[in-house]
Amino acid sequence: MSGAEPFEQRTLSAGIVGDAFKQVTRKVPSGEPPPWPTNAELNVVGKDVPRMDALDKVTGRARYTFDVQLPGMLYARTLNSTVPHARIKSIDTSRAEQYPGVRAVHVLERLLMAAELRDPGDEAKEPYPVVRFTGQPIAAVAAISARAAEAALALIKVDYEVLPHVSELADAMQSDAPPVFPGPTEQRATAGGGGAAKGLPQKGNLRGPSTGGSRGEIARGFKEADVVVEGEYRTQVQTHTPLEPHGLVADWRDDELTLYASTQHVMSVRDEAAEIFKLPKEKIHAISDYTGGGFGAKYGVGNYGTLAIHLSRKAGAPVRLVLDRREEHVSVGNRPASLQRLKIGAKRDGSLTAIELHSFGTGGVAAGAGVGMCHHSMYPCPNVSIEHYDVFTNAGPCAAFRGPGQTQGIFAFEQAIDALADRLGIDPIDMRNKIDTRDADDVRARAAERRIGAEKMDWSRRRPPGSDAGPVKRGIGMAQSMWPYIVNSYTTCEIRVAGDGTVDAFCGTQDIGTGTRTVFAQVVAEELGLEAEDIRVHVGDSRFPPGPPSGGSRVTSSLTPAARNAAHAMARDIAERVAPLLNAKAEDLVFRNGHIQLRDDSKTSLGFFESLRRAGVERLTHRADRRDDYEGYARKAGELHISPHAIGGVQFAEVCVDTQTGAVKVERVVAVHDCGRPINPKLVESQILGGVVQGVSYALYEDRRLDAATGVQLNANIDQYKIVGSRETPRIDVHLIELLGGQSSTDARGVAEPANVATAAAIANAFFNATGKRIYTLPMTPANVLAALRSE
Amino acid sequence: MRTFEWVDAKSVDEAAALLATTSASRPVIAKAGGMDLLDLMKEGIVQPARVVNLKSIRSLGDVRLDKSSMQLGALVTLAQIEKHAGIQSHYRALAEAAAHAATPQVRNAATIGGNLLQRPRCWYFRNEHFHSIAEADRSENQYHAIFDNQQTVMVHASTLATPLIAYDASVHLPHGKGSARAVALKDFLLPPSMQRDRDTAIEDGEILMHVSVPPIQPNTRCAYHKQTERDSYDWPICDVAVVLQMDGDIVASAKIVLGWVAPTPRRAVESENVLAGRRLDEHSAVEAATAAVRGATPLAKNAYKVPILETVIKRTILAAR
Amino acid sequence: MSVATHHPLGGEGLGTFGPEPQPLSLLINGEVRTALADPATTLVEFLRDALGLTGTKIGCDRGACSACTVWLDGEVAASCMTLAFDARERSITTIEGLSRDGELHPVQRAFIEHDALQCGFCTPGMVMSCAHLVNKNPECSLDDVKTAISGHLCRCGTYPNIFKATLAAAAASKGKAK
Repeated sequence: MSGAEPFEQRTLSAGIVGDAFKQVTRKVPSGEPPPWPTNAELNVVGKDVPRMDALDKVTGRARYTFDVQLPGMLYARTLNSTVPHARIKSIDTSRAEQYPGVRAVHVLERLLMAAELRDPGDEAKEPYPVVRFTGQPIAAVAAISARAAEAALALIKVDYEVLPHVSELADAMQSDAPPVFPGPTEQRATAGGGGAAKGLPQKGNLRGPSTGGSRGEIARGFKEADVVVEGEYRTQVQTHTPLEPHGLVADWRDDELTLYASTQHVMSVRDEAAEIFKLPKEKIHAISDYTGGGFGAKYGVGNYGTLAIHLSRKAGAPVRLVLDRREEHVSVGNRPASLQRLKIGAKRDGSLTAIELHSFGTGGVAAGAGVGMCHHSMYPCPNVSIEHYDVFTNAGPCAAFRGPGQTQGIFAFEQAIDALADRLGIDPIDMRNKIDTRDADDVRARAAERRIGAEKMDWSRRRPPGSDAGPVKRGIGMAQSMWPYIVNSYTTCEIRVAGDGTVDAFCGTQDIGTGTRTVFAQVVAEELGLEAEDIRVHVGDSRFPPGPPSGGSRVTSSLTPAARNAAHAMARDIAERVAPLLNAKAEDLVFRNGHIQLRDDSKTSLGFFESLRRAGVERLTHRADRRDDYEGYARKAGELHISPHAIGGVQFAEVCVDTQTGAVKVERVVAVHDCGRPINPKLVESQILGGVVQGVSYALYEDRRLDAATGVQLNANIDQYKIVGSRETPRIDVHLIELLGGQSSTDARGVAEPANVATAAAIANAFFNATGKRIYTLPMTPANVLAALRSE
Repeated sequence: MRTFEWVDAKSVDEAAALLATTSASRPVIAKAGGMDLLDLMKEGIVQPARVVNLKSIRSLGDVRLDKSSMQLGALVTLAQIEKHAGIQSHYRALAEAAAHAATPQVRNAATIGGNLLQRPRCWYFRNEHFHSIAEADRSENQYHAIFDNQQTVMVHASTLATPLIAYDASVHLPHGKGSARAVALKDFLLPPSMQRDRDTAIEDGEILMHVSVPPIQPNTRCAYHKQTERDSYDWPICDVAVVLQMDGDIVASAKIVLGWVAPTPRRAVESENVLAGRRLDEHSAVEAATAAVRGATPLAKNAYKVPILETVIKRTILAAR
Repeated sequence: MSVATHHPLGGEGLGTFGPEPQPLSLLINGEVRTALADPATTLVEFLRDALGLTGTKIGCDRGACSACTVWLDGEVAASCMTLAFDARERSITTIEGLSRDGELHPVQRAFIEHDALQCGFCTPGMVMSCAHLVNKNPECSLDDVKTAISGHLCRCGTYPNIFKATLAAAAASKGKAK
């Protein structure tokens, strides 16, 4: 649609503020607001405005889905499979239905999240979905109390015909492994991403290869290489473990369905429910005031939500179904494990000649276990060969997880680059200076970030690997981030101004803790010359104009230009109405400090609210869509538009390794990042802190453990599934650059994922610098560390 | 968690009498802080018909410390032990063990009685699913025993037991009116088992009333260390308590106890023998540590615990003061 | 955080209860609150489900994430691992009772100022532990803060800002006391 829009040539200032700033020419759609100056010259945007919902959160008043209590609400619990692979011959729910307090029982007809057979064949005749992992949801009970529901579950009788199963990636790859699926499969994507390329071959449990990014002639590339490094990297399964588990409260009355969901995308909750229950979308109202963490796993209604809706319909009452901690670990997503055989060739000067990757990933019963795009897209290299296979296992399905694929990929790739540098005797930073040369914003950002980070980390003190003589060894390392700059085109903001001076801003996105409410308010306030707190922000409701999913680091990049454009239109509208009162031309009026005033004469001024009253404004409404980026996109997939420019980031880590106990301590991380124009630096810093902390956690501790004989997750809790706590949190120094790309009316980009993807690699490279040994296996537990130190 | 009948016991005798009525069809279980019991009930591993609340017996909550010995009532909390100045100065290894157990919230509620009587933290044990499956199949054994692991690979969970055994503690068990027995803690703890409903020598109708610890001799040095994957809050890879009787800088005698490496806390007699009569230094500590792990029989996934234990023994010996 | 020396519910009440639900009275945020509970009801279930005090969260339900932290007689407790009947004769303070007469606790103010929260689900529990620390020990060090929240899980990774906020609140309340 944007292709037909009229446009004009504009000259804009672009680049890194305080570093390389230049004039560029862009094709800008007509009617775009004038470009904003740098943050230093703005009043609200670029400032550390306190998080708007912080008061509700520190007082316990914030109402999460977990806290929704409706009159007559029933509590539901799920019955899950006790075996890893089976046909269900029969299910008898009659005793559960008669249990005191039970109001409804429902057996799941179709399993979401898992891969689906291309040709359902014989399985289409099965009375129930085939069980493919221990903990797979089968049925649910709604009762007047959670205790009654729990007791009734025990009365449901499931008759299994147990089939052979396989739990681990290495076993599932064998040609004689029990097949998880009887034939080829397809994997649907969620609103948060994921999914897998269609139509790939499948042999046994191996689906693939996918070869995207391959080019040139790999053999020639290695022939031209002066040095070659090779390694086999392994990463573990990580579970999202949001502190608020997945959950839904469904309230089906007459022909209208209200859903309170802990979600990263209210629209996807509505849409999936509409599809499953064959309801028009307008009959469904999805609400999410607060979501207690998601990290990629909370999209759609899911199996639990489907069950809750069925139960609500059957019982004629609202039903709350919130997973317990075990179910949360097992059945609603995880970061897939990977095995990456990576070989890279380079010339003596560091330039890359060949990159060869054979990788395998297992997302359990779901496909889409890739290892990201870094191997083929981060650094120029003429010869690239990629072969990736998804490997099915009888384990819970994977889901997008903060930097999906890329986090696993960069752990291997940035270590391999570090190994190359070591072999060539080139400093790791100089190595990146040599090879990180594409013509894109992320490349230019990383160049600046390397300089800043090196200074903050005092990189010049870095010693040769394994320099410490004693058993406790210290070292520093660095690794680079890359994540696509994504725009969700289907984004609309609406601003309403009422005569009493209230300003309301609406968008059907949601604030899952990233600060979306706050940045939305800041952008609107900037245009209207108000403070952020003057704007009443409304998000988390499917009845609002369409908004982006809170995933893929795309909310701020998608939302803020639409918000600014709507607010700008509002300001111009008000200016037209107020101009006669000030005997001025509308185009000479500006909005500043709660006033509307002449650009060159602040004395000719009227208060914002006073202006509305005197202009006789009752209610004004303006809407704006997210327009395309001024330079367009490299790729579009539905509403997901990907810029030719990516988001960068460079992280440095300092570690201490006790070579006798295998204990690794990350003492310090320096994280230097870019996110276009930072709308609220404080909130961006919080995102980066979170990315680093989760990265440390992934690198050192987290590891889902399945019992091979039963497929049971042994550590489906918080004490044995180990996550960074207060004492493992390193000192983290965040430095943010302001990069104006000249791409949209706010030039904002995301940061959640770039802040996470490089941390494990930076720690691993620091581990090498400390010990002189590479750590190829995550997590860096004492067992894995001692094994790495013993290796040749 | 299923509901149950709750009885507030007003005396040890009343509690003992109530507990004596337990049967397979109508289990009666004692509750102090409730930390372990709630966990077991929530996992569906224990389903009591009746819970006897011991916290209503006020007399069990005191620390008595004098020149002749120390007596810890069964309801003394880990927080009390951690913060007690007398325990910190006389029984440092115990205070350290208490300070490093669980979370501040749990330490405020968990009692020493419950700590000693708790069931194993083995992730097979803590999952109802495995209570009907043979123990031989426990393949994820990275946190399990590296000694004496033929009968069971599970380890006793109490970290307070590690220093308490090094201090020669015993437990006092009244049963019925007026009669009682004292059992050395090292004999009281039994190898964990899924077939029994307890991992100690306590009998039906007995109450763990208090723990007594003999007086510390002059010239005693002690230390405790719990080695974990995480510092914030974690179960041990191993923990080590060292109590040394010194004669100048010569070790007259040593008590070294290793937790989480055998089904019950293990006396490192080999290390104790190495140290006796030796000057306390890096050499003797290394030798003692090596002697301790010589007999280790690690499982498929826990061989890494052996060198870690060896290091922790050495470091804890050297840290004794 | 004043601890009631004279408990309004007195010392009566020992006896035999359950297994059926029956009225249970607890002293919560200075008020006696009564609702039905059976002996297996945890304190957090009583607060949330029986009384609608949903500020206190459940993260793991096993005492391992401390999202459910409340104060019992002024000391931090995991309300998911506390049976409601064990809270008889004790004074319970929840997040709803932390701010007095609409005035935020200094730790709550500092959490806002230092952005010591993201999704916010762990926040009420974190605030209870940090407020307890600051009340007891305004001289607290970074290490003390780390210890105070060593049993808490923040999955969003806000720890560095929680450290900053708590130390700032301690410094502020120390200044006030002087």
